[in-house]
Amino acid sequence: MRIIFILIIIANSISSFSQIDYTQLIVGRSTGNILLHDGAFPRIFGFANNTSDIIEIPGPILHMIEGDSVLIDFLNMSQGAPHTIHLHGLDVDQENDGVPSLSFQVNHAEHGFYRFKAPHAGTYIYHCHVVSTLHVQAGMYGVIVVHPQENSYLTWAGGEQYGRDFVWNASEIDTFWHKNSVLNHLYDAATPQPVAVPDVYAPQYFLINGKSDSQLADPANYNYALPNEDVYTRLVNIGYYGVRYIFPSSLNARTISSDGRPLPQQQIGDTVEVLPGERYGTMIKTGTDANYLVQVEYFDLNTQVVHSTQTLTIQLSQVGLDESNINFILFYPNPSNDGQFFTSTIFEEEYKIMNLMGETILSSQSQHIDLSKYSDGIYIIRYKGNSYKLVKQ
Amino acid sequence: MNKLFIFFVLLKATSSFSATIDVRLIIQNGTRTLVDGTQVLAKTFSTSTSFSENSDTFIWSKGDDVNLKVVNLDTDAHSFKIDGYIDFGNIPAGDSIEQNIQLTTAGVFRYYDNSNQPYNEYVGLSGLIHIKELTDNSTYFYWDLREIDSVWNAEIISNSAQPTLTDYEPDYFTVNGKSHPNVNGDPIARPVGNVGQEFKIVILNNGLSIHSMHFHGYHLTIEDDSKKAINIGRSKDTFPIYPSEYLVLSCTPDKPGEYPVHDHNLAAVSSGQVYATGMFLTLNIAP
Repeated sequence: MRIIFILIIIANSISSFSQIDYTQLIVGRSTGNILLHDGAFPRIFGFANNTSDIIEIPGPILHMIEGDSVLIDFLNMSQGAPHTIHLHGLDVDQENDGVPSLSFQVNHAEHGFYRFKAPHAGTYIYHCHVVSTLHVQAGMYGVIVVHPQENSYLTWAGGEQYGRDFVWNASEIDTFWHKNSVLNHLYDAATPQPVAVPDVYAPQYFLINGKSDSQLADPANYNYALPNEDVYTRLVNIGYYGVRYIFPSSLNARTISSDGRPLPQQQIGDTVEVLPGERYGTMIKTGTDANYLVQVEYFDLNTQVVHSTQTLTIQLSQVGLDESNINFILFYPNPSNDGQFFTSTIFEEEYKIMNLMGETILSSQSQHIDLSKYSDGIYIIRYKGNSYKLVKQ
Repeated sequence: MNKLFIFFVLLKATSSFSATIDVRLIIQNGTRTLVDGTQVLAKTFSTSTSFSENSDTFIWSKGDDVNLKVVNLDTDAHSFKIDGYIDFGNIPAGDSIEQNIQLTTAGVFRYYDNSNQPYNEYVGLSGLIHIKELTDNSTYFYWDLREIDSVWNAEIISNSAQPTLTDYEPDYFTVNGKSHPNVNGDPIARPVGNVGQEFKIVILNNGLSIHSMHFHGYHLTIEDDSKKAINIGRSKDTFPIYPSEYLVLSCTPDKPGEYPVHDHNLAAVSSGQVYATGMFLTLNIAP
């Protein structure tokens, strides 16, 4: 009887493990730096998805498919305070919620495992929830995109089709908060002690995807799209200021989703305000202008005074354009029905193609990518530190 | 026939039941003790002659008659207003005004001192009134959001200076006058419920800052929004709320657990430079 019971338990644990559709390694570190537009190089905490990668702000974008059973393997490789992964907006259960006093903390050199089912298609955030006031400012955050099962270029099942999406994650940096005297603190959820935070938050740098000012004016950080293309902008704010995205009226901005859910009625308007922790999905349509400038205002939530305006550039590009000098690669067709993808980009070094399990399935420099023997789904091509999405359907 | 008539009369009497309520609000000044023991000057509407650190939340029903008397025991003149209901105008120091109010409109209302804007209501002379429909049997929780810039309180109440809004740097963040962890001990603030049972939360921002309240564990639906009607019906996990704005949110929990709710301006999850003692509480949902 006892043997049967043990066998049942083993069988259960094997079957639930085998149900995992998507596994993602996330590495947390408290030793890194960010190069800011004026050469400042403050210390950061952050996430990477590989033990050999350095951390960046924000962390890597995680792509999942609606309904996937997801396992996040979080490896904390940082001395000092523990860290966690909070799955912001994914409505996971308490055990997997990432709040150290209510679920668990992950100490140095330990793994923590988060299990959940990817819910509605939409845009979400992951961030550390240990002394979150400090650790989020320090850089421990990233975006999760959940795609609908039927087509990853739909906003949600039965939603709108788009040609490409841009993820714009707003945050700020107050360099005083990045000093060792602030960041080096102890914490233990078993005996939580109050942790000191600075008395004033007065950021000097206002970021989109970790870049600001002259960095955003660099063509390497432009957002490239085709003429007359439907583009889905995923507007995220993980900072402590409010932000207003102001689109040119010629892009006909329509906000159609928020916090991973469709809006009951779309909101037509060029200005989209995104408060800390919120996400909005705004559909725009390019025309034939050479470029479009999107202004992003950052305002203090106590005084409502705007402290910075950043500019994002949407640059139109045609397939066949010589892209060798810019940090942008077009693959076509994408999605592909037969797994054949082409690009006019000449690769200077090998790229890697990974499946959503994080496994490298192909390395090459070819302008022709053949994924015909692989199953339908999303694949990530990594080249020179950037990620691009290929969809076989 | 007689029994049917009596039943009908009883039903009618039950459904149209209304109460007469005597309320006395006394404007006083005193000292508020914050989560870390820091004391700041404050002025509030107290329901007794002893100083109350926070202005009360009132839950009434549509059809009630409220005999409201506002007494000004402060040394400065004040005023009293309930948006959509009454405006007493100026109440000189030592004076009082009394009026009967018939509650003919259900909803969420702010009461506040309309004079010396926005400073008097900022230091505590503002509160929340919920007038419920008689048929409304929902379970409600109430969050009166407020932040405190301890320097401002001293300057305003001592009349030593009129601070400028662009210098506002609050250092304490409260729900119903309490910060984490104390706010979890407030039964009208902390949502406690069961899986499958709907509850609602009324959030009123009586502070000067914008807040962005993020819920772990659940998406909630916006049932009412005093400033942005287009938001009604949206299902979200994070809710911006501007000064003087109120929201009514509904939630039907789909799983048990204890889940945080906090301002996602994470600087507001601290008080007096200490984490996590700010605008932060938890929902506690039983199976």
